[in-house]
Amino acid sequence: MTAAAAVAPRGLARIRPRLRRREAVLLVLVYVVLAVGGLSLGMTRTGEATVAGWQLLVTYGLALAFVHLAQTLAGRRTDQVLLPAVGMLGGLGLLVMIRLPQDLVTQDVGSLELGLAELQTLWLCLGLGVVGVLAVAVRSDTWLRMYKYTWAFAGLALLALTFVFGIDQGGARLTLVVGPFSGQPSELLKVILVVFLAGYLAEYRPLLASERTTLGPVRLPPLPYLAPMLAMVALGMGVVVVQRDLGAALLFYVVFLAMLYIATGRAAWVGLGVALGAIAAVALFLAFPHVRDRVSVWLDPFADPLGAGFQIVQALHAFARGGLFGVGLGAGLPEIAGRLPVPAVHTDFPLAAIGEEMGLATVLGVLGLYLVVLERGLRIAAAAADPFRTLLAAGLALVVGVQALVIAGGDLRIIPLTGITLPFVSYGGSSILANALVAGLLLALSDRGIEPPPPPRTRGPIMRALRGRGT
Amino acid sequence: MDPFVLALWAVRLSLVALIWLFLFAVVRVLLRDVRRAAAEPGAELGRLVVVASPDAQPPVGARFPIDAVTTIGRDLASTVVIGDAFASLEHAVVTYRGRAWFIEDRGSTNGTYVNGSLVDGVVPLAVGDEIQVGRVRLRLDRGRR
Repeated sequence: MTAAAAVAPRGLARIRPRLRRREAVLLVLVYVVLAVGGLSLGMTRTGEATVAGWQLLVTYGLALAFVHLAQTLAGRRTDQVLLPAVGMLGGLGLLVMIRLPQDLVTQDVGSLELGLAELQTLWLCLGLGVVGVLAVAVRSDTWLRMYKYTWAFAGLALLALTFVFGIDQGGARLTLVVGPFSGQPSELLKVILVVFLAGYLAEYRPLLASERTTLGPVRLPPLPYLAPMLAMVALGMGVVVVQRDLGAALLFYVVFLAMLYIATGRAAWVGLGVALGAIAAVALFLAFPHVRDRVSVWLDPFADPLGAGFQIVQALHAFARGGLFGVGLGAGLPEIAGRLPVPAVHTDFPLAAIGEEMGLATVLGVLGLYLVVLERGLRIAAAAADPFRTLLAAGLALVVGVQALVIAGGDLRIIPLTGITLPFVSYGGSSILANALVAGLLLALSDRGIEPPPPPRTRGPIMRALRGRGT
Repeated sequence: MDPFVLALWAVRLSLVALIWLFLFAVVRVLLRDVRRAAAEPGAELGRLVVVASPDAQPPVGARFPIDAVTTIGRDLASTVVIGDAFASLEHAVVTYRGRAWFIEDRGSTNGTYVNGSLVDGVVPLAVGDEIQVGRVRLRLDRGRR
């Protein structure tokens, strides 16, 4: 008996299906929510007990089940909460897309003309495919760890391409068009930036944590070792600012400060960073008229309710109409004079649509789901085997959490509105795929069977610098 | 009242209720995880794992959960007892100060090495570093939470 087991190839012997009961239970709850949501929309629309867009909901449900089954069959011991939480956010987003007018976005694929919800289903399924592949196939993080500069330059090159070949859309040059495909590289750049920062900070952490540069009585961080990282961050953010993608710039900066704090544990640096950020914000305010517009609209949207403040005023009215439990899916205010009450509702303001039709209770629920994703990410970070994985997991979770915070705050007029997407909920291929990358990497990092980290380096400039310190 | 309107009303409220039910189910799983992690014995700051030990005292693979101050040496009163002829009685001390690990050689005869370089004074230690005491090599790992 034992001889037969020993003969089996090692790779195959290790693959043993493992039940994921908690994930299955939570996924069933997601299915129930999707079914009831579809029913609610169908009843409002047709006046009969039908489920609106059931083909799309079933397709999405099958894609979720596929990721669950792939991990079960491969016997992965990954986190069991992340997929249902992300799946719920994606599902709520899909319900909103099914409800919105389908001609907001259309694309011809061959002879087929796909509408908003169909395209979103397509992107969600592709995204879930990415999640499944990453969760099952990633057994080692060397490909991220060793090539951090390669990734960083690839990301910046992508941004530079947008400069040259990008097209203007709504005053910001964000969209890169290659043949039939178009995408927003800044979404992908946020993932690449986290990978680079995790690699860099993990390597230089011992040096950064030991303050050596002193300027009179002021103890400064070891500037020579911070310079490459600061240059990279400044370059990335500068490009993003010039492209007028202020939401992404804010996101990058907050995540950078948070990761620096996690790596070094020095609150003073974060204070310094926040002060520098405030100065930069004032400079941007003075330098760019569109930043001034954003701030004045935020301070008083009702000054010009039909012009600059139109979007935010309509969003606030939508939230107010919704009340505590919403007016019901599909029962929200129809189009006014052929256009939607809230412009760009499918990308920047899905939260307003949720707030109007499903109420404050659901908005709070959605924010709770982002907290859950953040908690899982930080827990994965705390349990990680080495600093690189800790920083990577924490950074990835923070990217999702901070992005949700920035756009939700903008939608609710708590901070100035910056046009970024609500992760997993908003319409958009780049957004869905980039956030799927985040979810997939987090799942892979949470696997307790993942390859152990490589031994630390014993040679090289960092160890030499550290050794020089000891004497 | 029209039964259809009533049914629609029930459906759309149950949608909100179900979303919250899902959130509570998730939070229950999270709470269970947190409780289980807290109930696990041996909340330790870090651990030393024996990587190489010619005399098998301690054996390779042995794990020592360590606290803020850990003495390493041949002395039986040490936190980590090294049964190696090349180790001194009071060989080295590993400390955890605030947020970082440090190691100090306690005037041992054969010296303490971190990742192959001789320790002189107090030297910072990172998770994953290898300490050599006598002929025994230990790796500093993260503790279990």
